[in-house]
Amino acid sequence: MINTNDQVSQTESQTSKAKPKKLRQRNRPRNKRNRVEDSTTTTTESSTTTESTMPGENSQQDAATREQVMAEREAKKQAKQAKKQKSAPPATKIITEVEQTTITTKLTTTTTTTARDKPEPPAATAAPAAPIAAVTCTAAVVTETGDKTRDQIKAEREAKKAAKLAAKVAKSSGAKVEAPVQQLADLKVTEKTPAPSVAPAPAADEDKKKPALSKAERRAIQEAQRAAKAQGQGQVKKAQPAAKAPVKSTATHTAPKELKRESVSPVKKTTTASPSKNSSGSAKSECKVKLFNHLVSAEKGASLFINDPLVHPSMARLGVQYAQRTVVGSNARCIAFLHALRQVVQDFETPAKKEFGRSLDAAVQHHVDHLHKCRPLAVSVSNAYKQFRNQVTQLPADVPEAELKEILVHFIDTYIENQIGKAAQAISSSLQEKITDGDVLLTFGCSSLIQFICEEAKRRQVAFRVIVVDSRPTCEGQEMLRRLHAHGIPCTYVLINAVGYVMAEATKVLLGAHALLANGYVMARTGTAQVALVANTHNVPVLVCCETHKFSERFQTDAIVYNELSDPNELVRDDKCCLKNWASKAHLTPLNLNYDITPPELVSAVVTEVAILPCTSVPVILRIKPDIGY
Amino acid sequence: MREQPLKEVTQLIHAIKVGLVEGSYGITNKTLDIFKYIIISKSWKNADALMQIVRAQCRILQAALPQETVTSNIARRILKLTREEFDLLHAKVQHFADDSQASLSLHKLVTQTSESNVSVDYSVPQQGLREALLDHLQEVETELETSSENICVQAEEHIHSSEIILTLGHSRSVENFLKRAIKKRQFLTIIVAECAPACRGHNLAASLAAEKNVEIIVIPDAAIFAMMSRVNKVIIGTHSVLANGGLRAACGAYTVALAAKHYSVPVIVLAPMYKLSPLHLCEQDAFNMVGCAEDVIPYDSIPAREAKVYSPMFDYVPPELVTLFISNTGGHAPSYVYRLLTELYHPEDLEI
Repeated sequence: MINTNDQVSQTESQTSKAKPKKLRQRNRPRNKRNRVEDSTTTTTESSTTTESTMPGENSQQDAATREQVMAEREAKKQAKQAKKQKSAPPATKIITEVEQTTITTKLTTTTTTTARDKPEPPAATAAPAAPIAAVTCTAAVVTETGDKTRDQIKAEREAKKAAKLAAKVAKSSGAKVEAPVQQLADLKVTEKTPAPSVAPAPAADEDKKKPALSKAERRAIQEAQRAAKAQGQGQVKKAQPAAKAPVKSTATHTAPKELKRESVSPVKKTTTASPSKNSSGSAKSECKVKLFNHLVSAEKGASLFINDPLVHPSMARLGVQYAQRTVVGSNARCIAFLHALRQVVQDFETPAKKEFGRSLDAAVQHHVDHLHKCRPLAVSVSNAYKQFRNQVTQLPADVPEAELKEILVHFIDTYIENQIGKAAQAISSSLQEKITDGDVLLTFGCSSLIQFICEEAKRRQVAFRVIVVDSRPTCEGQEMLRRLHAHGIPCTYVLINAVGYVMAEATKVLLGAHALLANGYVMARTGTAQVALVANTHNVPVLVCCETHKFSERFQTDAIVYNELSDPNELVRDDKCCLKNWASKAHLTPLNLNYDITPPELVSAVVTEVAILPCTSVPVILRIKPDIGY
Repeated sequence: MREQPLKEVTQLIHAIKVGLVEGSYGITNKTLDIFKYIIISKSWKNADALMQIVRAQCRILQAALPQETVTSNIARRILKLTREEFDLLHAKVQHFADDSQASLSLHKLVTQTSESNVSVDYSVPQQGLREALLDHLQEVETELETSSENICVQAEEHIHSSEIILTLGHSRSVENFLKRAIKKRQFLTIIVAECAPACRGHNLAASLAAEKNVEIIVIPDAAIFAMMSRVNKVIIGTHSVLANGGLRAACGAYTVALAAKHYSVPVIVLAPMYKLSPLHLCEQDAFNMVGCAEDVIPYDSIPAREAKVYSPMFDYVPPELVTLFISNTGGHAPSYVYRLLTELYHPEDLEI
């Protein structure tokens, strides 16, 4: 309690800007609505100041909520016991318990308010009012919940029953799930309404700001509904104790504040809003194959690509390129990302009164989130991003911004040069001694690295030929064939089901990889594992070429836990295909997996720029090169 | 002496070549019709003459359609039938008591080879042979007709509810088998590998999707390994079963079988008896055929000018990758196929 008070006073002293708000703060009414309102005004009036005071505000709120959560836990426990015993006396006990807790919270609020009323510096701004608003409002809520617990518990139980029923009836149909959610939401709304009666004396300027307030409230309600939906979907089966209501109510009350904070940066708001949208929309975008439900990403609506003022054009373009699969391949994606990132760094303008590094970090984070929404990030990209972020956090403090940018741009350029360019050269040179006259290399799909190696071997005038194995629906091998053909390398081209037919000719199998996992499994384009399998049974050595910047610290043993689904319509060949109207058939699903996992026993060696290693040495590389993954 | 094909045989060859007659069952049926016609209408004097005609026509069919082994299989059945009927009638005439002519027991086989190296003279004219043959042919026909049904009936013995089954391409036996399984068992998930470039798996998927209570997943051939980890059973059809218990199956079957082996998933092969051929082919080149490459890569694409493109039709699946054969007479292990072959065909007819 004391802590929080101290923090409040701290924040007060920090904010030195004079604003004529003091009066209103003094006779601050207990009405929650007004609190909300006030915080809006403060944010609108002085956005920068609110931002600067944010940490203090946060901690204050956290403390308050922690207190509440503790109280609620107590209440929950009690409720559980009461449920078990089903006798009257404990119920009253709960109420008393809750009341006790509310009293304590009340006390804290009073102390804070008294602290506020004490000799205040004249320069006090309206900003610190917000935390108090939060505390008082939450306190009000708690008292309210304390009074209402029994009724609420009943209501909650009923709502939950209904939710359970509905969930049983039809999990898939979103409409039915919505009903109990609505109930839950209603519950929240009803909880809120008595708030004014608890807290009298509305402020004089309440009427003026009514529209803004109602908007905030509406947002709060929406937020609550979403939360409730998420909870309702997730926890119906768990049969949680009934005293969940207070938690939710606090959530709803704190929600407007959060939203306000976010309204400073509209992007953030959209990011927080979108997941909840996804959860509500998941019912319809659900994959028909239950095995892959967890892989289904939300439908990429056009809104994702519509101009977002906070996304740099180069990143926006990259996002579209990722989503439309015009930039594919681990290396290509990484290079494109780094180029776009360089643009972002160069064009970045530090907001007023902000630190360059931090604000850049936040901006890049936002960009990466955007890219992730367009298409889940490749391991190479996320590794590069981690490296970049590491660099940003290590930037020297007392250096002009232009110089910092210079450092970062240089870092990006060297990353591309070293991790991708030079690594490819190193891999190629170590593989050259493995390619001799008369060799028949078999490769799968399209890999820039393999292409590079083949070109290098051709330059050395080695007489070899390449078998390109390809698979529907992407047919990347045709691109590989085109590139190799352009360099005059004799090629053979087959589809993957004929790999057994050509494997007898092959002397070596060279495979590209998307990532190398820490348990030695190779994550690569679907079909790679099959090629490795057939090669293994024909006793043809399988060499996986992979730069260390694609090493991942993830562990994975099958291709289903973590994967990416492409557009199933790609499997439909043409208009005459039987799969054409698969969507109208309830039980039919084309499945277009992006990656598969090759177990290490099928791979003879991994060729990295460090050395030619067995797959199982991946963790060793990860350890000696700790900057690869975090 | 060069044999002349019958008009019916040329017609059949033409029909198969242009794709009017499709599928092993259709070809087998048509071939059987031709041999029936030969037995009925041709003026053969004795068993030997008939066997000569059958052999000659079979050789022609074989030369014209080297990949369709069912034609020779049927011819072998006819030859064996002729021998049996002749022996039976001959024995009756000679009053030579033979209790177990119809069924060749192992004991009988052993004693036969050890005792009687006497070759039977089939050129002796035999009364009533034609009628007896036609009678017996009727049995073969019904066997052929009911073979698919007989395989289907066994679906319940092999598939339990909520099983995940993987299949490849489009086999009629598999289609019927799975349809039966869907009717009898609930919550099946059937994964169909499309089998590029023809993508006949799409047809199978569309056909199975008409059923209820089943989930059909169509995957590209590349995802077979990725999906195999979740599969309970692999059920595939085959083009023919070789003498060692290996398969000549649609291209891609080898990968499926290997992946299944990797994950220890049982591979069940549906093969009606007429697909059993007494051939020993362990080499890809020995029996494979390369199809049109246009589907693999468009002819007008730039790299297609220089690159070699293959589109093989078949895969050889070695017997150690096959767990079980299901034929119309029941289940058989791959190691038992040789025994079935000796029961089905006469040893002297293996080479036509």
